[in-house]
Amino acid sequence: MMESFYDITLNVHRYDPDTDKRWIDTYQVKAGRIMRFVDVLRKVNDEQDATLAWGSSCEHGQCGSCSMKINGKPLLSCELLVENAVHYFDTTTFTIEPLDVAPVIRDLVIDTDKAYGRVDKVKPYIIKPKPLGEKGEEHQISPEELERYVDATRCINCFCCASACISSHHNFLGPNAMLAAIVRVMDPREQEKQSRFDTLYSENGIYRCHSSQACSFVCPKEIDVAHFIALAKNGEIKPA
Amino acid sequence: MLASNIRKIAGIQYMQDLSRTHGWPYLISWSHRISGVLLAIYVCFHIITLSTLQDPAVFTSKMLMFGSLFPTFFEWLLGIPVIYHCLNGGRLLLYELFANRRDQLVLGWVFVLSLSYIVLLGFFMAIGNQSVSAILFWVYLFVVSLFITFITIKKTRQSHASLAWKLQRISGAFLFVMIPAHMLYMHLDPSTGRDAQVIITRMSSSFIKLVDFLLVCSVLYHGAYGIFGISRDYLSSRRLQIISTFSIAILATLFAWIGVNLIFSVG
Repeated sequence: MMESFYDITLNVHRYDPDTDKRWIDTYQVKAGRIMRFVDVLRKVNDEQDATLAWGSSCEHGQCGSCSMKINGKPLLSCELLVENAVHYFDTTTFTIEPLDVAPVIRDLVIDTDKAYGRVDKVKPYIIKPKPLGEKGEEHQISPEELERYVDATRCINCFCCASACISSHHNFLGPNAMLAAIVRVMDPREQEKQSRFDTLYSENGIYRCHSSQACSFVCPKEIDVAHFIALAKNGEIKPA
Repeated sequence: MLASNIRKIAGIQYMQDLSRTHGWPYLISWSHRISGVLLAIYVCFHIITLSTLQDPAVFTSKMLMFGSLFPTFFEWLLGIPVIYHCLNGGRLLLYELFANRRDQLVLGWVFVLSLSYIVLLGFFMAIGNQSVSAILFWVYLFVVSLFITFITIKKTRQSHASLAWKLQRISGAFLFVMIPAHMLYMHLDPSTGRDAQVIITRMSSSFIKLVDFLLVCSVLYHGAYGIFGISRDYLSSRRLQIISTFSIAILATLFAWIGVNLIFSVG
């Protein structure tokens, strides 16, 4: 039965860097059914606890800055409606934790510089572009070439996949970092492939992937991350 | 209330929650990992037990102990991780090397075939009176395994991955049929796996020696690389990584030496 409001309970993991203390705070919130979790957290800030820290930017599922774990599932809190959450998890009690891919700065905010450090290692940009044509025209990617990897370019680096990965976060650069490297290997405009192969096939690269496919399951952009990593394992990521 | 408590105690609730937050393949991967560690430990125990074949009297006394009801039941239970790990390993090979993306379908088959194997194994263990020529049985399955191994080698050739990583897949492809077949064969008749004289006579064949040699080498490499992979996932310290790699290599070599020594000295 569709409700107009839900009385939900939030168990939020808190962290105070000044005292290095961790604890869980519980908030009771009357939430509208189409409120998103970012709205719910804002309501907590407005009405109950202004000190609760969390991060967001675009709040339209494009920047990946509001990712967190809700009842254990890494997701974008701007995309999860209260009603969908109640039905999906079959409860009105939600445990909210920060992602575990980088140190926590405060409450639900993680050190994104540290998290992005892993993506930076694969150099997610064109290092050595293909030279311009004889008349100076830019290289064009054919639709057939683009079709092979266009899905992978939709990654927003929200780190949900990295958080869900079975491989822990000690040594693996992460599924999203692998995806960034794979995109550049498959990109026909990029000439520098070897250094990317070196990173992909390093001890922190695809050897740490065990095809648990949790990355594909949690990806808010519905990218089949495991598919692309499997292509890399099988050597099928060369440009067409 | 009772049903809810049963679900909690049996861990069903936890597994359901995990499948909801990470997907079923994630849960399957954890089971693959746990079953792999269990089997790696069991292989060491198995090799130590078989090494007593050097003295048939000691081996027979050990087998008398293992022949009672509880150890037999335990052996049957061991069939669960064995067949599950083999079939799920086959699923992973299909996914990673053979570009199969109908993974849900294959996952269903993993469960159906695992269940069928367990029932079949229990049936043969219960009747325990089947007689099959060792050479015929192993020639047939060896050829099948070599074929699977060959097509896996062909598929790994285009990969840029390391030789060690490829060998893990290749050894897995070889063991995919060989291990469930080995377990089934050993339980067709109680004497097949427990009578020292029957085993020694069988192992006097050069072909059986070759099969056993490849089995021991593949199992130990596959197990060692699997444990190495897990250690690399969790150990951040370079020092601990070196210590664990060294320990795994030493243990695998030691058990390989015990196993190979047994194969070529018995029969």
